[in-house]
Amino acid sequence: MNDMNVTCVDRERIFMDGSAEEWAALEIHAATCAECGEEVRVWKSMSAAAGELKQEWESPYLWPKIEQRLTDQMEQKPSRVRGWLNSLGLSTLHWQTVAAVALLLAVSGTAIWMVLPPVDSGPNKQVFLKSRTVSEVERAEAEYQKAIDKLDAQARPQLEAPSSPLMASYREKLLVLDNAIGELREQTGLNPANAHLRRQLLAMYQEKQETLQEVLETKR
Amino acid sequence: MATMGLTLPWEAKISSEERQRGLRVVETENSAGGFSLAASEAHLEDLRIATACQAGQLQGYERLYSLHGRRMKSVARNLLGTANDAEDAVQETFLKIQRGIGTFRGQSSFVTWTFRVLINTCYDVRRSRMRKKEVTNEGTEESPVPEQRAPGSHPALKLALERALAKLTDHQREVFLLYEVEGFRHAEIAEILRITETASKNTLFQAKKNLRTMLEPPRSQPAEAR
Repeated sequence: MNDMNVTCVDRERIFMDGSAEEWAALEIHAATCAECGEEVRVWKSMSAAAGELKQEWESPYLWPKIEQRLTDQMEQKPSRVRGWLNSLGLSTLHWQTVAAVALLLAVSGTAIWMVLPPVDSGPNKQVFLKSRTVSEVERAEAEYQKAIDKLDAQARPQLEAPSSPLMASYREKLLVLDNAIGELREQTGLNPANAHLRRQLLAMYQEKQETLQEVLETKR
Repeated sequence: MATMGLTLPWEAKISSEERQRGLRVVETENSAGGFSLAASEAHLEDLRIATACQAGQLQGYERLYSLHGRRMKSVARNLLGTANDAEDAVQETFLKIQRGIGTFRGQSSFVTWTFRVLINTCYDVRRSRMRKKEVTNEGTEESPVPEQRAPGSHPALKLALERALAKLTDHQREVFLLYEVEGFRHAEIAEILRITETASKNTLFQAKKNLRTMLEPPRSQPAEAR
């Protein structure tokens, strides 16, 4: 039930910035006040009518046209970001280390995929891992994480002092990924046998790995 | 060229806001307190598109188009009046994004930045169309060709609203279209139009008040006016 008391004086304020509770209280008031009843009706009908202005139509040729023009424009002008990075001489990466880390990531990532059961077809059906499998997954996950940490260490100097908007976006993306990974790790800690959560966590790790590789690639 | 005006240093933004983004998601999208994975997934998607576009990958632009192309066309159609002009504006917007990607500093989400470029582009298109009209028609008024309507629509109501909208200020029309028609939140509109959330709410209120007067004058007034 709504205990909030609303009068005609509150009407415009609620129209402008009312909370859901205030709107509910206004509706109750409007049921017994003709003027407010009419104003609420008209106000709402404008929102409903606005839906009529939503424009939807198919344009099958639009994206191909845009894609072609983007390609043309790209060919006309070499990547400014890459040119800028080259001019700064940011090409001092140890590729042997990166290759070694990439191999380690591939091995440990594959190990987790092999241990985890196949993706379930039902959206809400949860797959639970047996306790022995859980420890295998956790071991492989720890190895994978260690490998990603190595990659992270390689990319860290560039991320700490981003030299371009692209690098700044990579850094922010990695922050969001780390937050999501942290949350998922917490959840898998509570439900260690939940394969769905494990898969989500693995997907996040993989995206982090790919993003770090892109960062290092950009450095080259 | 549209005025994108993205001049604040992005380095400063990183140091001051890097954690706030995540926190803001927690505060606004998930009041229960936990980190919202769904909200962070949306943020992540935005960053995926941004980094792909910044890295010059066409699939970034394709993803942007597949996720937001429809809404971009709709906004442009409502600002420009015809589907052809809207498609031209969307196409031009993508080219501008590619040219100006180096100026995207991540101070807003990539999608809201895209819509800001789109709205500026629509005004560019409108200006150049008006200039052309002045040159070619020498004052003869050309009415736009009515477009096919979707089945089940209410042409009279739609037409009345379109006419009334045309009488609003550009700013009021933008806010009304973005909020009521396209379903953006005030926080997003604030980013797109570079205003505050409160200003967005106030403008919407004023826009609706004006529309209300134009569409349906209060019943008590006309009789008294005579």
